[in-house]
Amino acid sequence: MPTLRELQAGFRDALLGGDANTAAAAVHDDGLGADARLAVYRHHVFTSLTGALESTYPVIVRLVDARFFRYAADQYIREHPPASPCLFEYGAELGDFLARFEPSRHLAYLPDVARLEWAMNAALHAPDAEPIAPEALRAPVALGLHPSVTLLQSPWPLDAIWRANQPDAESHGVDLDAGGVLLQIWRAGDEVVFRRLSAAAFAFRHVLAHSGRLDTAAEAALTADAGADLASLIRTLLDEQVLIRPPRP
Amino acid sequence: MASGTLVPELSGSGVGLRSSHVAEVLATRPAIDWLEIHAENYMGGGPAVRTLERIRRDYPVSIHGVGLSLGSADGLDAVHLERLAGLVERLQPALISEHLSWSLTGGAYLNHLLPLPYTEEALAVVSEHVDRAQERLGRRLLVENPSSYLRFHHSPMPETEFLNALVRRTGCGVLCDVNNVYVSCENLGGDAAAYLEVIAPAAVEEIHLAGHAVNDADGRAILIDDHGSRVAEAVWRLYARALARFGAVPTLVEWDTDVPPLAILLEEAAKANVMLRGARHGDGDAHAA
Repeated sequence: MPTLRELQAGFRDALLGGDANTAAAAVHDDGLGADARLAVYRHHVFTSLTGALESTYPVIVRLVDARFFRYAADQYIREHPPASPCLFEYGAELGDFLARFEPSRHLAYLPDVARLEWAMNAALHAPDAEPIAPEALRAPVALGLHPSVTLLQSPWPLDAIWRANQPDAESHGVDLDAGGVLLQIWRAGDEVVFRRLSAAAFAFRHVLAHSGRLDTAAEAALTADAGADLASLIRTLLDEQVLIRPPRP
Repeated sequence: MASGTLVPELSGSGVGLRSSHVAEVLATRPAIDWLEIHAENYMGGGPAVRTLERIRRDYPVSIHGVGLSLGSADGLDAVHLERLAGLVERLQPALISEHLSWSLTGGAYLNHLLPLPYTEEALAVVSEHVDRAQERLGRRLLVENPSSYLRFHHSPMPETEFLNALVRRTGCGVLCDVNNVYVSCENLGGDAAAYLEVIAPAAVEEIHLAGHAVNDADGRAILIDDHGSRVAEAVWRLYARALARFGAVPTLVEWDTDVPPLAILLEEAAKANVMLRGARHGDGDAHAA
């Protein structure tokens, strides 16, 4: 007779496609068969988690079609079952997974599109944070970016791919050779948005987010573009209300 | 919510708040006694939580958790309990409920309310976790009977006995899901009316109603608790018996799959309310048993 811990580990194996023997041996047939009874639970686990991934990744679903997505999701769920009961946190590794997933390797832009959709999902559910007032910059103060912000660099025109795959898109054509992007994804008020950044603005924000310091961020911006307008880089951060004081660790 | 907000007391019937109905609830303020939310949908930040706080100003809310995994042999997820405590603090819910089940093992959250064998070992695990949750939340937790699709060879206690023992050990309450009682008894050959007769009536503080699907599994009918249709007639009849035994307990209508217009949910809740009034006045079906 298995302990409760052994039984639950056996269920995990049976539900995620591994060895079902431990779980099946503990279950009554009751005229249907232990495997068929376990299949009821397995079906729910996979359909509910696939549904969670579909709602986080609608553009990927469109790009690969719904059936292929379900096939990829099935593999993903086995490799990366959720670590948390909050399903809005589920699916963070789909971009990295797709980069390794042989059947869609020929769609080289797919992983970065998934990373864009994940950043949008993360922005929607990120905690609120008070933007800093300009006067606060007169004192030495640690700075950071709003928790909803993701900075994403890609060799693909992710913004164009995303827009062309919206249900109301006027054109579905994308020039994949149009070049890469430096994107900022964030939540403005209640709305998740993204926009392109210049090389200087991207470097400025990236270094600011990691160092918390304006001076090192300014140096990074000038390295990226010797003619960068530092005043405008700071003003845009304030206008977008994404400059905050990071919470103390 | 400001601390010190009075925790409301529930009566009548409510509906489970689904994201597709939130805007309509805010715009039309339907006449419904209370709303229930799934805790795990509101553990992030942003607009969802702010909107919920607006709704909470107008309606009593109950918090229904699906992720605490009270039956996990690996132990209680302390991080998740803290997140639940934060939500309870913000919303000051009228009731807080969870499930007699488990989902988490070896760091994987299996996203299903999985069945427990009803053994002394499992009773000790669930009791310890209910104790810890109640201590952290500073509130009584209601524990819901699951819908079941299998029985374990080694499960010496009936589910009702397990629940009653849990109530005695921890002082928790029971969320009696009448649809789950029906589904489990149909699937596993139990007597649903007898099930209700054994549950300690004083412990039952909330009732759930929902629809189920009838699926074919290798030529046998199996009922699936999919919350995807109106409450079945047989479940309404069982609900009348539940009211006769437990009294006019606050009742919630749940709908999670193929969610219909809000008006349909409100109709189902109104139907429950008529039966609740009958139970309070001691007439009709509710008096028969």
